[in-house]
Amino acid sequence: MTALLQIRNLDVTFDTARGQVKALRGVSFDVPRGKIVGVVGESGSGKSTVIWAITRLLSANGRIAGGEIRFDGRNLLALTEDEMRAFRGQQASIVFQDPMTSQIPVKSYLQQMLDILYRRKDRRAEKIGHGVAMLRRVGIPDPDQRINQFPHQFSGGMRQRAGIAMALLMNPQLLIADEPTTALDVTMEAQIIHLLRKLQAELQTTILLVSHNLGLIAELCDEIVVMYAGEVMERGDIRSVFARPAHPYTQALIECDPARILERSRRLPTIRGDLQDLPAAPAGCVFASRCPHAFDRCWSEKPAAHVLSDGHDARCHLLDASGVGRGKPPLAAHAGTPSATTNPGSPTRSADPLISVRDLCVSLPGPGGLKALLPGRSAPMIDVLLDVNLDLHVGETLGLVGESGSGKTTLGRTILGLVRARSGSVKLRGRELIGLSEGQFRPLRGNMAMMFQDPIGSLSPRQSVRSLVLEPFDVHRPPGIDRDAMADKLADMVNLPRDLLSRYPHQLSGGQARRVGVARALALEPDLIIADEPTAGLDVSVQGEVLNLMCRLQVEHSLSYLIISHNLPVVRHVSDRLAIMYLGRIVEQGDCEAIFRQPAHPYTEALVKGIPRPDPEQRRILVSIEGEVPSVARRPSGCEFHTRCPYAQDRCRRELPGETVLADGRHVRCHFPLMD
Amino acid sequence: MSATRSDRPLVAASAPDRLGSEGWRRLRRIVGNWQGLTGLILVLLFFASALFAPVLAPYDPNALDIPARLSGPSWLHFAGTDQLGRDTFSRVLHGGRIALYVAAIGVSTSLAIGLLLGMLAGYGARWLDGLLLLLFDVIRSFPTIVIALAAVALLGPSLNLVLTIIIVTSIPSYARLVRTSTMALRNTEFIIAERSLGVGLGRILWRHILPNVVGPMFILAAMDVPVVVTVEAGLSFLGLGVLPPTASWGSILNEGYLLIRQTPWPIIAGGIPLILATLGFTFLGEALRDILDPRLGQRR
Amino acid sequence: MWSYLLKRLGLSAVIVLSALLVLFLLLHLIPGDPARIALGPRATPEVVARYAEKAHLNEPVLVQFWIYFTNALSGDLGVDVFSERSVAKIVLEDLPSTLILAAAGLLWAALIGIPLGCLSAIRPNSWFDRMTGIISVSTIAIPSFLVAIWSLLVFAVTLRWLPAIGGGESGDLADQVRHLILPAFAVGLGWVGYLARMVRASMLEVMNENYIRAAYAFGLTQRTIVFRYALKVAILPTITLIGIGFSGLLSGAVFAEIIFTRPGVGKLIYDMVMNRNFPVVQGAVLITTAIYVLITLLADLLVAWLDPRVRDSL
Repeated sequence: MTALLQIRNLDVTFDTARGQVKALRGVSFDVPRGKIVGVVGESGSGKSTVIWAITRLLSANGRIAGGEIRFDGRNLLALTEDEMRAFRGQQASIVFQDPMTSQIPVKSYLQQMLDILYRRKDRRAEKIGHGVAMLRRVGIPDPDQRINQFPHQFSGGMRQRAGIAMALLMNPQLLIADEPTTALDVTMEAQIIHLLRKLQAELQTTILLVSHNLGLIAELCDEIVVMYAGEVMERGDIRSVFARPAHPYTQALIECDPARILERSRRLPTIRGDLQDLPAAPAGCVFASRCPHAFDRCWSEKPAAHVLSDGHDARCHLLDASGVGRGKPPLAAHAGTPSATTNPGSPTRSADPLISVRDLCVSLPGPGGLKALLPGRSAPMIDVLLDVNLDLHVGETLGLVGESGSGKTTLGRTILGLVRARSGSVKLRGRELIGLSEGQFRPLRGNMAMMFQDPIGSLSPRQSVRSLVLEPFDVHRPPGIDRDAMADKLADMVNLPRDLLSRYPHQLSGGQARRVGVARALALEPDLIIADEPTAGLDVSVQGEVLNLMCRLQVEHSLSYLIISHNLPVVRHVSDRLAIMYLGRIVEQGDCEAIFRQPAHPYTEALVKGIPRPDPEQRRILVSIEGEVPSVARRPSGCEFHTRCPYAQDRCRRELPGETVLADGRHVRCHFPLMD
Repeated sequence: MSATRSDRPLVAASAPDRLGSEGWRRLRRIVGNWQGLTGLILVLLFFASALFAPVLAPYDPNALDIPARLSGPSWLHFAGTDQLGRDTFSRVLHGGRIALYVAAIGVSTSLAIGLLLGMLAGYGARWLDGLLLLLFDVIRSFPTIVIALAAVALLGPSLNLVLTIIIVTSIPSYARLVRTSTMALRNTEFIIAERSLGVGLGRILWRHILPNVVGPMFILAAMDVPVVVTVEAGLSFLGLGVLPPTASWGSILNEGYLLIRQTPWPIIAGGIPLILATLGFTFLGEALRDILDPRLGQRR
Repeated sequence: MWSYLLKRLGLSAVIVLSALLVLFLLLHLIPGDPARIALGPRATPEVVARYAEKAHLNEPVLVQFWIYFTNALSGDLGVDVFSERSVAKIVLEDLPSTLILAAAGLLWAALIGIPLGCLSAIRPNSWFDRMTGIISVSTIAIPSFLVAIWSLLVFAVTLRWLPAIGGGESGDLADQVRHLILPAFAVGLGWVGYLARMVRASMLEVMNENYIRAAYAFGLTQRTIVFRYALKVAILPTITLIGIGFSGLLSGAVFAEIIFTRPGVGKLIYDMVMNRNFPVVQGAVLITTAIYVLITLLADLLVAWLDPRVRDSL
């Protein structure tokens, strides 16, 4: 049986201000009927461009320069625009990455669905029934009423489900999913994975899944296509590729994924170098500049696809000569030194904590609408943090983990005095910070610094890197500073090339901008650095760079870190202790590895066991919990997690649990913890 | 998610740019765009003719020459004469000086005050913001001409009164623009980053907010000049602004209107420079806007 | 929704009240006898005395304001001492004419400008778009009173196609329409360009949104996407801007009335100013302001009603 979708030698070019860029070069793969095929790649791999090429929805400056795309035997590239329109939505349909922006806000779901169904000759009532049935199928409660609602009335996870429903309305043969879980919380991701599996089994839809998330692909797909810089590196059956990755890039990708690494190591593997600017197609293998095994032939000649087994092939010269290409050492050995032990050289914990938080409560004004604009009337306050108790010791790294609405960012900002607390205490080395005026606080700012989530956005756009890096000195004016020397020193400390000092933020790459953020944080030699999502937006292969840098600096400068993140696998590798937050409360706090091995709080269990594992052999243990994170404006009664907890009992509904200490010293807020 | 996950091919960071060369590139783009070029030429023409009017005008604008009254264009009088025999062309040139005076002082004053109030409203306390917004709304709720009429009813016509009214009614537009930009910037990560360093309010406003707010302000200023000039001309046309015998484009039009059945030339001559000046500044403003926001030209 | 309505009404009331206050204070802050200032040099001593009595000028300022305010609430804006007629009546006689003129100007501008903007946005940088762009910018730049004067010159005085003066015979609709053509043309011309550019910019921004791309991906037709998806979203900021820009329409109408000698509030105010009759001016300005505030309120309410996000957040 021929594959439903066959792509052969696809070339796509974009006309940009810098000339022509060949975004896709010679891309070829098949999507067999009834299967789920995953296309994995990092930024710049061109994986999304493939989607737009298939549906012929490239931006105005892009065009398909060559190749063939056969769908059910027909060459899509030869169709007229009218025929393509018939194809879209009907034979192939897309689920979009960000449900917040990909659904028109001013039309109800009913209206949108009716529009999609315009080609069907049924009566309106039948179409409505069909829409309602589809919403029910994707798990939206009360679909006959909710179909009349507007997108902003659905939460994020539900919007994505609705997006899946709309894509399936015309019962397409091919469902294309573009990063379907990237914009969602971790617990939501697991739900969507289950949903997609269920739908595929019920409807026998063929799915093409595009993502950078290896775990997602491993959980769902039957086959995998690995792309790098616009070309296909390797493709094949998923178990075969994961078990015996043939291409160095695939090996590196798997090795670098923190969720894969079971033993905790302080240094994460990375792929050295950066994705290059590629206006012209390189003569040889496109991965050559970053490949640790590259030899002469790699630079001059493009590798052909070498078949390893049925359906599994890879483009690499190393596979050519017999014997070479089997049993290569994992890439990780070259980039860093993974060790099973925990971090080398961390100073022993002193008795008194550096930061001590007790019973901290923070309320912020909610969106009060227009009432709030009138002078004298303020918007209703929403509790963002409640009864937070936290200790951070000198030289340790504490990971603060939570999903949206957990309050983790607010906690970081409150410690830094950027947000006013309603009650409670935050002490820095025993000195109370709550209630200090800005003038009293300012001298202490040298002791605590923050690294922000958006690397470029957190740098003032019209200041040069040099002035940004020196700004802490301008504000606090420690005596006797040689500015140029200091700027150079800071740049060196974070591996930032000195010539970047004269550039502006918009001229930097994400990784470079992040290092500037680190340099700024280090400038005044603080005791504590709060890092807000340090790996957000970074490809897996370069995440390690930032984290390894932070670890090195910690040892060199005796730093303590508070790492705020929703990315559990990353946090696991760098943290000594962990604090899990839900709806503004800390529900579990203790030794990081112990918590991962055996979570005590049901929410922690859901988080830990809900991470998609990049290992196709481990699919069945993925756990997902029901429901969505409730809104902080409408908190559930009793234990706030009870609405989603699989172990909830009567007491949980009525009574808020206090903090209890378990045998191994960790703190839990639960009436019935999963261990003692 | 951030831009690293788009479908557009990743392009590495650009080569370093000295800020000076960036300025030259911008200038060349203005000139390369035909709209900008035309606008620039017209604006320069306006400035030149207004500044050098005493030198360029063949006659004294107030010189009477009754025998030559109401004549059409000729080599002696390029634009003809009005009912008192004054040379229209010279009057028009001198009218440009009034326009320049009003434009320069009006725009710069309202820009400066608007900038200050806008930053205060955008960055300061909520009650202050509410109060200022209310103030702006009240000012905006009067059509300019109506305020002018009311004020003149009480105080009598005068150019400086008109100028004051123009300034007061222009401030809200600038202030709102600055306020919106400031409020947007206030919650961006980089401002929070600055606050986390302990940077004080003054420095934040001066070094971090102001430079990012100033760009759209200049576009607004360029687009505001035609409005200001037009308002002055309109009010002078109604007799509420300059007093006779001062020549302003508006007063020339006024006299021309009264003579409309006898000679069309004062109306034509008075209107053309007004149109050229407004077109010039509008084209220039449009060109500036295109340069600062080129993405409006692309689409799917 | 209701609380929003109440809030906006409250805000509007505050604005109108402030306008009232400003007008009132203007009169009293100027040095000199308020009655003399209000009525100018041609007022005889009896007229001045009558005015002083009617306006209760012997009372403290705040009391005067209170009296005026409470009277205004019941529709009494004072009496014109020259003609002995109620100010409110005088103004309201002329108001419809002005509103009709403003509405006519806006209507023809919208009928031409909005489709132009729409079509330009669908084909950006085409020759059509560039042409429309030039026309738009030019019409915005030309002052509306100049358009009025020149069209008077060309069409009325020189060519004699259309009447130059007046509002037309009352009762004769065709004649009134003939008299409306040139003024409405002058008032609306600038708005053609303004609306075209506004709609174009708004549409371009919307067409770049992800949900439009998603609509294409679902196979919807170009017509559906442009008119039922993009335009629906793009029109919202346009409505708000029309509301705000209404004062410009009123200004244009004022000039048009004066130039074409049409009856209307603008001409009324102008004549009263020339004759130094401030009480009538005060009443007329107040009513004009109230109308403008009402229009912006309606525009905001319309947007709130059309945009479900705003509807639900209120």
